[in-house]
Amino acid sequence: MITPRSMNGLRSTLVIGARMAGLLILGLAWLAPARADDALIKYNGNTRAYWEHPPADWFMADETAAQHGTHPYPGQPTPTPHDELVGLVKDNIKLPPGFHIEVLASDIDCARQMVFGNDGTLYVGCWTEHVYALQKQGDKWVAKVIIKGLRQPTGIGFYNGNLYVSDIDKIYRYKDIGKNLDSPKGEVVYSDFPPYTSHGWKYMVADTQAPGWFYIPVGPPCNVCLIPSGTAEYRRVNPDEGLSEVVALGQRNSVGGDVDPRSGQLWFSENARDWMGDNIPSDKLNHLIRFGEHFGYPYCHQGDIPDPKYAMGHKCSEFSPPALNVGPHMAPLGMKFYTGNSFPAEYRNNIFLAEHGGWNQFNHTGARIMRIQTDVDGKNITQEAFASGWIKDNKYWGRPADVVVSPMDGSLLIADDQAGAIYRIWYDGK
Amino acid sequence: MRIPIWIIAVILLANPAAAIAAEGNPDAGKAKAEEAGCSACHGADGVATEKALAGDKNVPNLGAQPDLYTQFQLVFFRKGVRKNELMAAMAETLSNEDIRNLGAFYASLPAPKLPLAADSAPDDTELGQKVAQATHCNNCHGDHYEGIDNIGRLAGQREDYLYKALRDFKSGARTQVGAAGMAEVVYPLGDLEMQALAHYMSRLR
Repeated sequence: MITPRSMNGLRSTLVIGARMAGLLILGLAWLAPARADDALIKYNGNTRAYWEHPPADWFMADETAAQHGTHPYPGQPTPTPHDELVGLVKDNIKLPPGFHIEVLASDIDCARQMVFGNDGTLYVGCWTEHVYALQKQGDKWVAKVIIKGLRQPTGIGFYNGNLYVSDIDKIYRYKDIGKNLDSPKGEVVYSDFPPYTSHGWKYMVADTQAPGWFYIPVGPPCNVCLIPSGTAEYRRVNPDEGLSEVVALGQRNSVGGDVDPRSGQLWFSENARDWMGDNIPSDKLNHLIRFGEHFGYPYCHQGDIPDPKYAMGHKCSEFSPPALNVGPHMAPLGMKFYTGNSFPAEYRNNIFLAEHGGWNQFNHTGARIMRIQTDVDGKNITQEAFASGWIKDNKYWGRPADVVVSPMDGSLLIADDQAGAIYRIWYDGK
Repeated sequence: MRIPIWIIAVILLANPAAAIAAEGNPDAGKAKAEEAGCSACHGADGVATEKALAGDKNVPNLGAQPDLYTQFQLVFFRKGVRKNELMAAMAETLSNEDIRNLGAFYASLPAPKLPLAADSAPDDTELGQKVAQATHCNNCHGDHYEGIDNIGRLAGQREDYLYKALRDFKSGARTQVGAAGMAEVVYPLGDLEMQALAHYMSRLR
């Protein structure tokens, strides 16, 4: 029962009145994206409070009138039902001749990084909370939640029979996972990461040249800021030893990478800053050539755009340019060099890159798998769409998050964390 | 801090994010709501029943709640991320298909339109309107506080429920995705402002 008002109410009214200075012009506001300036989000991205206790909409920090109205996708509360998904794939996904796509598994409520164990089990990390294991039973793949209660276990790795899960600031090891699938026991083996959750979700790039080591990105806790130490970098970590080294600086949000089998060098995708418009800056594919290279963030974007606020006198020429600008708001995430035997020879050592599709744009782009061809030194680099069609009527019905090459048959698996599914692409020439 | 407009279904702006996949069936949802016992408390018409309210004031109207909002809350109850013993038990029995159908059903119902009694607290209504404008609730909840996508309808919601929700956001009792944003919004509001907001929103038709 609401109690009668007292004089305190009047004082409250006066206080609120003082804050009413920037009221909207309601009529026009709904017809156009432009808003009164004080109605835009403005967080200071350079404070410890913002890094350690980010507001739920921290990514809106540098909102502009021109981009007002863009927002991250709410996502699907439930995965797309299997039959419906099969229909959507059949009607919309375009592939080069001779390639085919099927829904390998559906009804998985989140699907991010994938890694195969040494017995054909496919492990799948998640944006929230849990990790799946998929196993083939007969001709179907059956998914099971094997680990619960984590925060954002997006990055996973497999080595020496053990499963490793990177969950914001901790790496857990689940020993002999193949024998302990029903009750895996995790222990923290590395926790020297910063605690920040914004851009804190991880990906584990297996260093195929030195098994037991993983390249792991550490994102900055902001859209763009003068970063706290230990962030906006790539580390090379040995979880069993609990040791690491910093190998690269100046990356903003990388959720995918792979080691080029021809050179042993790290290549990684990177998501560029938001709130500079639909068309800039481009997201990137980077190539780590020299230990300790700086890829430009926050000072320089896409190799040639100094940040309006954070350039701070630096020139873009001081930093390592991208190997490839993949386009604005494509949201490139997981990637792999193709090392299988079942695709035509010209696909050998090409990069398959999953583009999630961006949110900070009015016309959606990405939501596809790109094929990138490059010489070992990054010369003669080209990109083309390999599998596309997850955008329909400017909406996402699915968003690719990672790719992995099946060691069993050289097919390409794709994780879709919106529809909640794993797809398989194979080649038969027909 | 201001929260931005999420989607306005007008010419120049993007369309609502909902439904080009995984749509529910409102007729199936209606049947499920009867069978699972949702209607006993939330009403076959989406208006909380007298009987339920006699036992527990904390039962919301569900009529015209946005589809994704209802679905997400059911998923949160089922997962235990939003804590409520009764709703957790109810949601545990629901399949994903049930959740989609229930979301579609409640979204298909008209907004609660009980005949308005004379305003018992016109000062609260006036203050509530001012607080709503100053806080820019419409940025997320829509021009008429009707909600959209995964953001709830406030107009025509029960006054007791709204007041409790605001207090729960402020105290941190509601912690699921999106709640932290609400905590930011209600942080500067005092108890009188929250009462006024609840009173004002509940009387909107």
